[in-house]
Amino acid sequence: MRIFKHPILDFPKKKVIHFQFDGVEFSGVEGDTIASALYANGIKKLSESVERHRARGLYCAIGNCSSCYMTVDHIPNIKTCVTPLSEGMIVESQIGKGVIR
Amino acid sequence: MNANIVIIGAGISGTAIAYYLAAKGMKDIVVVDKGYLTNGATGRCGAGIRQQWATKMNCIMAKKSVEFYEKANQTLKYPGDIEFKQEGYLIVAVTPEEDAQFSKNVELQNSLGIKSRKITKEEAKEIVPHINTDMFISATFCPTDGHINPFKANDAFYQAAKRLGVSFYFHEAVQSIQTVNHKVVSVTTDKHTFETNKVVNAAGGFAHEIGLMAGVPIPVYPEKHEILVTEPIEKIQGPMVMSFGKNLYCQQVPQGSFVMGRGTPGALHNHDIESSWEFLDEMAKTVVAFLPVVGELRVIRQWAGSYNMSPDRQPILGTVDECEGFYVACGFSGHGFMFAPITGLLLSEIILNQPTSIDMTELCMNRFKNQKTIEVEKSVV
Repeated sequence: MRIFKHPILDFPKKKVIHFQFDGVEFSGVEGDTIASALYANGIKKLSESVERHRARGLYCAIGNCSSCYMTVDHIPNIKTCVTPLSEGMIVESQIGKGVIR
Repeated sequence: MNANIVIIGAGISGTAIAYYLAAKGMKDIVVVDKGYLTNGATGRCGAGIRQQWATKMNCIMAKKSVEFYEKANQTLKYPGDIEFKQEGYLIVAVTPEEDAQFSKNVELQNSLGIKSRKITKEEAKEIVPHINTDMFISATFCPTDGHINPFKANDAFYQAAKRLGVSFYFHEAVQSIQTVNHKVVSVTTDKHTFETNKVVNAAGGFAHEIGLMAGVPIPVYPEKHEILVTEPIEKIQGPMVMSFGKNLYCQQVPQGSFVMGRGTPGALHNHDIESSWEFLDEMAKTVVAFLPVVGELRVIRQWAGSYNMSPDRQPILGTVDECEGFYVACGFSGHGFMFAPITGLLLSEIILNQPTSIDMTELCMNRFKNQKTIEVEKSVV
């Protein structure tokens, strides 16, 4: 899902960032948010609705709607659409309203 | 239009009074509200239900109300659920004076059948594991206190009253009350005139103004109190955590959000219900000191409402000397929601000339004339 060729814009090669999603190793690139890195890896289901557990993905993508909440480095309710990806992040699917430790 | 009685205010008190009167067979009951159902203090309240008070009357009224609320879904035949969560109130003592006062409070509460108890900091931490024990000396806990959804509870009384034939007029403001020889004869709104010889003032924050319409100067005033709510998380806190000394109450509601409030020192006596950044700032500092983990959460909304303050922080209920047929149910000082069932019952008894369930002497308006010194309820945030 990444654009490599464009008639006007250049997309230079960026540094690779490694992260974990639900126990599996993945990689994104510098400048990714967590959600954009997941999207680039074909993962579109980010969370579930609280009552009926229906799949939720990117909706507003600007940090307003809470559709992309995930647990990141054991902290729940992280807005993955606007949180930059960083090396070694542990990203987990969040079921329910989030558990504060 | 004729009415046997006009109740001003469709909050929890007004609807509870209407329900009890209708359930006892009274016909042609009219309830008038200048807004919509639950638009005033009921819908803005902190939703707490507590029996841990420092005055006898408040204890008795709270206990009787809790007993009603425990069975309210069945009694009111409510198709929904008022969401009564009874996981207690943890009230912390932050000064030696409070510590001593709380021992007296628990003794009083126990003598009236309220199952509260004085506990240590360690016991408090077992009940609320994330509480900062450096912030207090001791605490009291009553397991049958808790939380009710004010919108559902108000709706339950409203639907039950409507089923029993009570007429509701919303978006209709009372403009004047006509009296002849100090007796009520009619009530005029911006849309109707109701011929009636009985009026109930259950107008919450506007109780003083309604009183003046009938020539009754009620010693109450409105005072702004603010609240904020956080995003929801999975349940970590059962009871309401409260401090009078540090001016705080904070509860995790069943949906997962934390609802918290505090009084505003120096608040003006007016109808202002604007949210302020000063409250957000002070509230955040106060709650994080007691419950640090709550600091991890985002605030999603703020609002405010009016307490209707009385001189002794106890409600003013019943008849008044100045005007025949004028009944008051006001001055709850922030606790009208939790006292609504007993308010409805007592007002219905007074209005129908029945013997009252509890001795009302200390709740009547003329207590302020007769008593030289008044006992002020200190357990108020």
